[in-house]
Amino acid sequence: MSKRTLFAALVLSSALTSGAALAADPAVYKIGGIFAMTGASPHYGKVMSAGAQLAVDEINAQGGIDGIKLQLVIEDHKSGSAQAAVAGMNRLVDVEGVKAVLPSFSTVTLATMPIGDQKKVMMINGGGVSAQTVGTSPYMFNIRSMASDLAAGIAHRAAEQGAKKLAQIAIKSEFGDATIAATTKAWEGMGLKMVAAEQFQADAANIDTQVAKLRASQPDAIANWPTTPQAGLAVKRMRELGMKQPVYCMEWTAEDTKVAGKHAEGVEVVTDYFAATDENPWSKRFADAYRAKFGEMPDFYAANYYEGVYVIAELIRRAKAKGGDYYSGERLVQALWENPTFDSVYGKTLTFRKNGVAQKPVAVFRLENGQQTFVKFTSGE
Amino acid sequence: MDLLIQLTLNGLFNGAHFALLAMGFALIFGTTGVVHFAYGPVYAVGAYAIWALAALVGLPFWAAVLLGIAFTAALGVGCYLFIYRPFEISGSPPFVVLVASLGLFIVMKNLIGIVFGTGVKTVDSVAYDVHFVGNAFFTTVQLGQVAAALLVGCGIALFLRASRYGKAIRAMADNREMATVIGIDTTRLSILVFALGSAVSAVAGALVLLRDGLNPNMGFGAVFVAFVAVIVGGVGSLRGAVIAAFLLAFVQSLGMWQIPTEWQNTIVFVVLFGFLLARPSGIVRRA
Repeated sequence: MSKRTLFAALVLSSALTSGAALAADPAVYKIGGIFAMTGASPHYGKVMSAGAQLAVDEINAQGGIDGIKLQLVIEDHKSGSAQAAVAGMNRLVDVEGVKAVLPSFSTVTLATMPIGDQKKVMMINGGGVSAQTVGTSPYMFNIRSMASDLAAGIAHRAAEQGAKKLAQIAIKSEFGDATIAATTKAWEGMGLKMVAAEQFQADAANIDTQVAKLRASQPDAIANWPTTPQAGLAVKRMRELGMKQPVYCMEWTAEDTKVAGKHAEGVEVVTDYFAATDENPWSKRFADAYRAKFGEMPDFYAANYYEGVYVIAELIRRAKAKGGDYYSGERLVQALWENPTFDSVYGKTLTFRKNGVAQKPVAVFRLENGQQTFVKFTSGE
Repeated sequence: MDLLIQLTLNGLFNGAHFALLAMGFALIFGTTGVVHFAYGPVYAVGAYAIWALAALVGLPFWAAVLLGIAFTAALGVGCYLFIYRPFEISGSPPFVVLVASLGLFIVMKNLIGIVFGTGVKTVDSVAYDVHFVGNAFFTTVQLGQVAAALLVGCGIALFLRASRYGKAIRAMADNREMATVIGIDTTRLSILVFALGSAVSAVAGALVLLRDGLNPNMGFGAVFVAFVAVIVGGVGSLRGAVIAAFLLAFVQSLGMWQIPTEWQNTIVFVVLFGFLLARPSGIVRRA
């Protein structure tokens, strides 16, 4: 081979390689979101999509990722329909070509997880708490505390307040089953007695029978697992039926306060914790921008999905810096494990544990005058 | 024993709510033959109207309820005149009307979310007391549900037995063609039963607003319960619908005495399927 031919071959090779690298850049980085936009609990879809969209807007305003913009593509799972979620996930992957998806709700995350696993799409859940999402797919990650973390938090809080007998109420769903099992394990693991575990259908407005059975079990404290608005309805019913025991919830929104009314007073919430503080400038910036855009303060769901978009953007940036055909679920996951630590809107950094769950503080709040007042951090391990 | 008393009371109060819904639905379905699935969202819109009048306009709750009942009656009539009546005139088969009703259900349910938002609506201006029998508790609102079911039930029964229109409605429910032959204006009666049935649902809606609050999905459970009660009670029998409504509520409540509550809906429908197999024409058989 002459020098001229060799040079020509090198130039051609270089051009092809360069062309391949350019071809790997998509016109836009699409991030999928599978949220509860309609159905029984649209509040979640509203705040989760708002948090994610705010992050996308902020990153795009700063020029995107090396000039390529992000786009959030939302699919509606109708507040927990596995069928709608699977259809949405397939559309996101096959039609929209997303490489990363933000699912929500335990049922939805579990239903869509096999698709992510099969089609090698990275999934970051910021809403569901089911332990079944942990450790079953290399593409599945969680940036919120799992049921086991929250259950342990509630068990420790109830025990330190002197409860010996605990009763539980939950929605009949994968999420409800998971939380009841995790709490029972944590509570009985401390040598204490679980006296009742009642469940009801997700769309039930009337839970009088379940509450009557809770009351008859004469517990010292109640773990109230339903989500909005049934969390508030359960507290209202318990108080109306003369139950004065401490009630611990996994989450509590303004909707629940509205439903429970005066009965919300004194309810404790053991949950992921987001609060804007002066010590954490990013949290302040996020909270201010969220309030300016949506007219209310962000809750931890909004913060989780906001943070989820930033984690994905950072992974794309890291993968792109390494070159080659970087825009794939596999490369994003690889980039995560090369360095599982990210800046966190909750303060300092978050680090994904080996099981794919990011560790976060679990905090206790008490409802006082309709507001959640921070009490303390408790064990979420 | 305390639990049994509490579950019995719960069955009674829930039965009263179901009975109100079933009476309204039975009046419409039994008389006109229209499977009015949009009865659910009509009930929901009525409750939202009462909420809007009380919470947004600031009317006293009783005034909001009266206006809400009138509005719901008009809405029910509107459903008949603008949706079902054209199909009747064109002689469409019943399943076409059924599909139209389902379509109307979806449209109205989504409109509630668009107009009122998807959050829960409650009224803070009405305080109510808690009462007890031994160790079992109930609220004034629950008592109101029983009182409303009694008053409305007696009122409708009296109306159907004693008034000229009531007798005509019974005749139409018995045999529509014969009623037409003897000169009864079935269109006018259809308007009347849609107004009455919808108004009754608004009474149930007002009490649920106080008890549980409102959400856009509340109509599905309501029409589902009403439909099941009417079928189990025996189509065309108001008395049967009321009995079935209470049966449904008591099974739902007392059936959970020794069974985990996660089985609540399953056990109810196992019992109802068994009942229908044994007595397919319903509790009250028509001659």
